[in-house]
Amino acid sequence: MTTIGQLLLSGLLIGSIYALMSIGLTLIFGVLRVVNFAHGEFLMLAMYGAWAITHFLGLNPYVAIVAIVPGMFLFGMVVHQLMIAPALDKPHLVVVFVTMGLSILMQNVALMFMSADLWDVPPLLGGRSFTFGPFYAKPELVIGFAVAVASTFALRWLLKTTYLGKAIRATVQDSEAAMLMGIPVPRIFLITFAGGSALVGLAACIMMPLFSVFPTVGLNFVLIAFVIVVLAGMGSIEGALLGGICIGIVQSMSSYYIAPAYGQMFFFILFLLVMIFRPDGLLGQKGASNIGIND
Amino acid sequence: MRAGLKLPALFIGAIGLLVNAGTARAQEPIRIGVLLPLTGPLAKNGIENWEAMQIARDMINERGGINGRKIEYVHGDATSPTAAISETERIITRDGVKITTGSFASPIAIAVSQAAERHGVFHWEATGAAEIITRRGFKYTFQVGARSGRYSQAAVDFIVDSLAAKLGKSASQLRIGLLWENRAFGKSVGDGVRDYMKTKNLQLIYDEGYDQTTTDMTPIVQKLKDVNPEVLIAISFPNDAILFQRKAKEFDFYVKAFIGVSAGYSSPDLRTSIGDIVNGLFVSDFPPRVNPAVLKPDVRKVADEFYKRYEDKMKRPPAGHASAGFSALWALFTEVFPKAKTFQPDELREIALKLDLPEGSMVNGSGIKFTNLDWAPDPKDAGQNLRAAVGIWQWQKEGNVQVFPKALATHEPVLVPLPTWDKR
Repeated sequence: MTTIGQLLLSGLLIGSIYALMSIGLTLIFGVLRVVNFAHGEFLMLAMYGAWAITHFLGLNPYVAIVAIVPGMFLFGMVVHQLMIAPALDKPHLVVVFVTMGLSILMQNVALMFMSADLWDVPPLLGGRSFTFGPFYAKPELVIGFAVAVASTFALRWLLKTTYLGKAIRATVQDSEAAMLMGIPVPRIFLITFAGGSALVGLAACIMMPLFSVFPTVGLNFVLIAFVIVVLAGMGSIEGALLGGICIGIVQSMSSYYIAPAYGQMFFFILFLLVMIFRPDGLLGQKGASNIGIND
Repeated sequence: MRAGLKLPALFIGAIGLLVNAGTARAQEPIRIGVLLPLTGPLAKNGIENWEAMQIARDMINERGGINGRKIEYVHGDATSPTAAISETERIITRDGVKITTGSFASPIAIAVSQAAERHGVFHWEATGAAEIITRRGFKYTFQVGARSGRYSQAAVDFIVDSLAAKLGKSASQLRIGLLWENRAFGKSVGDGVRDYMKTKNLQLIYDEGYDQTTTDMTPIVQKLKDVNPEVLIAISFPNDAILFQRKAKEFDFYVKAFIGVSAGYSSPDLRTSIGDIVNGLFVSDFPPRVNPAVLKPDVRKVADEFYKRYEDKMKRPPAGHASAGFSALWALFTEVFPKAKTFQPDELREIALKLDLPEGSMVNGSGIKFTNLDWAPDPKDAGQNLRAAVGIWQWQKEGNVQVFPKALATHEPVLVPLPTWDKR
């Protein structure tokens, strides 16, 4: 019983970290219809940033958020203007290759400047856990969970109630009509891409005390992020949170009860089942893959 | 007037070129293809190996090379098995290289040696350890470092011959766990541990493989906590080793002794990443630095120079695989090449098969004696070095020190049983 409880708790916590790291991808995919294959490398870049701030300035990695989130927003703007925007009206494959190329480029630049070494920041509480009765929970994971839930609801609120959010949703529904209504569609794309990148920056600061950073760290996470986006119902923000948590729990249960080597296989089975029975994802609306971000 | 000056100048230039070409041919370098992962997930260890191999090249060239011929490396970036094959093909077909070496990781070594064999190229494998490397009936592949089964045996022998007594139990009473990453190397060592433990009548109470790109060690650590082994053998790569140790501390998972195998636990970064909790962990691997008393006197001098150069360059002592990379190439330069005339693969093969060097002939304590379809446990085996050194070293406060086997050891094992997490 304790074991099951612990596995559920751990799955929930790690799953929320997965969700946090996928929200940016979901947002970008939902609005621009662009699959950013360099998503993992954005995460890597932001983790290096968080590491550098912690390591050289001696600050807490959570404090790095104030620099990394705006920094990644700017980085997202630059990437969008230089690489994504020019490819948007080209065949879909172009943007796939652009982001894939960017991913390889970023990995190798990181290798050049940072070498293949693993870098870490010291964990909170010297790496020990909170204990609740028989259960263990690392403070970094609990903070990650809170941030993931808060960002999901904040983003949802932003999309539902603010002018910007409404403009984004209008663009998603019909970009031509939106343009005729005076919504600056190219700028909406720019802001969304930059905003998605900023969210990756937030995730990186939360993840830095939990994981080592190295040039290919993104590869370990990006597959999970892609699965979450599709599982969620492409473009669904709450779906991403739910999808992340499902994957976390499935992975932790199947790794324990079946075999650790098959943890990944089981969340792909879950993924296939959802695709067969609910092709639009857990919380996706019908035709989500064509429509984009949900209402 | 101008044309008049130009022509003689050209003529003189041309003669100069011819003369240069002539002398260059007399001292034509010996070219070796070095296949290592220099980018990508394995780059960290690949680059350490590359540095060690470059030191071997510089040292031999400073000593005048091989009968006046310098050693020259042509390197290929063997990031993955597929890349390894295309890079090896490139080096062989475009650069005309007849000798290759490498490759740090087993999957890369398997791929490189396969491409080399196809072209009849002599492959001198310094570190790749998977058993299959020498079991494919290849003619030109020589595995100079220890095969993976030897890592397994070293870990198990250490439990039987040293740990059990220190833990106050007979070895067969000890509850032993085995955790392995499920690619070529981890699986190969894991299989070896399981089989060898059976012959020693030891109790294996936990035995699981995992993917090294895993992002969450919780289920593994939770299960280990539930089955509660006293000694754990873990075969890991750097990122997963760090995740495991952190999760073990987080979950307060305690073992009396921990033996890590190779790359993850031997990586010099482990201490920077996980701090002092690294102290007390044992590592079964190529020895980073053995007791100098076992080395032949001339080898001892080479060893001192290598360690000094490596530390000056990298600002830390070499890990076992880097010492192994150096040792293998130094043996190639000083034991194989001086006996060669044509440097053709067939000739090099003959020389390699005749080598009979006792332990202590190489910087890392190894000797050389290759199998050639004459090894009793597997008559299909060819090119395996039966005298490659493997042992156990320990993370101690003052650094990585060799503790087993006795002959190679510089220190006694300490911190057995391990202190609990709050006391480390």
